[in-house]
Amino acid sequence: MRIIVCAKHVTDSTEIRWDDERGEVVLRNLPTKISDYERNAIEAAVVLKEQGEDVELEVVMVGGEAAVKTLKEAVAMGADKGHLVEGGWDDPFDPVRGARVLARAIEAIDDADLVMCGLVSEDGYNGITGAALAQLLERPYLAPVVAIEPGEEHVRATLDLGDVLRTVEAPLPCVLGIDSSMNVPRLPTVLQVMKVKGDRIGTLKLADLGLAPGALGELAGGVELAGLDSSAVERKRIVLEGAPDEAAAALVAALREEGVL
Amino acid sequence: MPARVIVTAADIAGLRRVAAAARTLDGVERVAALALTGDGVVLAPAAAAVDEVAAAVGGLADVVLACPGGGALRGDIWAAALTEAAAGGVDAVFLADAPAAREAAGRLSIALGAACASMCDEVAVDGDGALLVRRSVYGGVAAGTLRFGRSPAVCLFAAGVCEAPEAAPAPIEQRAAPAVPCDVVIVAEEAVEKTVDLPGARRVVSVGRGFQKADDLALAQPLVTALDAELGCSRPIAEDFKWLPKERLVGLTGSSVTADLYLALGISGQVQHLTGIRGARVVAAVNNDPRAPIVRNADYVIQADLYKVIPALLAALGGSP
Repeated sequence: MRIIVCAKHVTDSTEIRWDDERGEVVLRNLPTKISDYERNAIEAAVVLKEQGEDVELEVVMVGGEAAVKTLKEAVAMGADKGHLVEGGWDDPFDPVRGARVLARAIEAIDDADLVMCGLVSEDGYNGITGAALAQLLERPYLAPVVAIEPGEEHVRATLDLGDVLRTVEAPLPCVLGIDSSMNVPRLPTVLQVMKVKGDRIGTLKLADLGLAPGALGELAGGVELAGLDSSAVERKRIVLEGAPDEAAAALVAALREEGVL
Repeated sequence: MPARVIVTAADIAGLRRVAAAARTLDGVERVAALALTGDGVVLAPAAAAVDEVAAAVGGLADVVLACPGGGALRGDIWAAALTEAAAGGVDAVFLADAPAAREAAGRLSIALGAACASMCDEVAVDGDGALLVRRSVYGGVAAGTLRFGRSPAVCLFAAGVCEAPEAAPAPIEQRAAPAVPCDVVIVAEEAVEKTVDLPGARRVVSVGRGFQKADDLALAQPLVTALDAELGCSRPIAEDFKWLPKERLVGLTGSSVTADLYLALGISGQVQHLTGIRGARVVAAVNNDPRAPIVRNADYVIQADLYKVIPALLAALGGSP
């Protein structure tokens, strides 16, 4: 079985701050990483590789030179190979563009039985890429997946649809959107990441995606970020001093005053 | 200018949500609502429920297209039905967020060659007639305005609570659902009993990483009972440690609350969490770290060890410590 996991190179979302003075989001010089939700997808795929025979596992990631480190970390979780896709910046707010780049990359790699994505990505939280990818590749889309049982020609998956847990069987090839509740992703050690040699990292150039130089713009979905403003809600920020019993009594009094008790 | 809009959702609450968004747009000439109907389909489990759909979009839509989906709600059939409904020309399709709606939105965007935006809160039109949507970006750090440079636009709306309008129901037009070949077979189904209603709770007591072990979460229970609250949690508790089920998660990937009181116990207040408590009227926090972001995002803060504050709060509320 051949599995391709789509993983995103993102800025660590816990480090992103709103700069009140400049009125902008501070994104420069922040640490980057594998998007958390794709870690769950890689973990699910690595488990399939550990359980099955003849499972070949590859990771695709869109990005420039800066993404190589992130891709190596993804491969170090237990993949055979990583593909860096020269798709330029992976716009968090244009999931259609992301899906078009990934679909071309997956077609270039060829013969994937399972394509696995995180349910959302840590940058855009769109939840669209997997479904758009399934439409482009003309495959079934199963999500949010919380359990997987692979077979010869089929895959059985359990989907958590909120009010119902549904187990379905789909023919291969197909696309899976992995729910973060499915597993706890392993953390590769520094040594494991260092051991990922250059020959396990391939590059897919624009020509491999069937694109002429400068033709990336053709894949754009047609929506862009036009403005940003603070989303902060002003709160009173009253600190209640004193020993726990005094502070607790003051809080209860304040909440009674607010009329919320 | 979006002159023709289609609104659709997997349930009535979602339909009211997207209909309310469409009502805020000026210059819309025609709105159609699409309802998939049939056994097991969430939007309209029986033919009679189409009337409920017609009422939810009353005064807005000039037609409800009712397609018998049959069986379980499928995103691919939904996308195909929307593609057919859009055949006469459409400028925007508004969907309310749900697992099947995400599949429908993703597939539809590709099928129509449309641009797609998720997590939409509000819509507007700019001076050039382009559709604008407002959504939370970068995990809730800021609110972003996205501009659609082309039509049609596919907009997936974040959950929200909207009232039904007092207007005459829209006329219903029955249509055959498009035949979409599908090899996906349902093997088993197990209903999950929904016991948690975080968005609708009037008071929420929420637990975070300040609790040192899973067993300690029980300490919050008497407080939940005393306040007649719903128990919530932050992302580490539900997604990393998995001490509580995901249905209790408050934040970007969980529920957003509209409670009168939100009491955060040992929650640091990462932006992803703050996004989910924006709708709370009063936020109180117990945290022993004065630099925790929750301190700047709460109305009342007790900077102390939650293990000491919880019994003190119970005593102050008149319960047993």
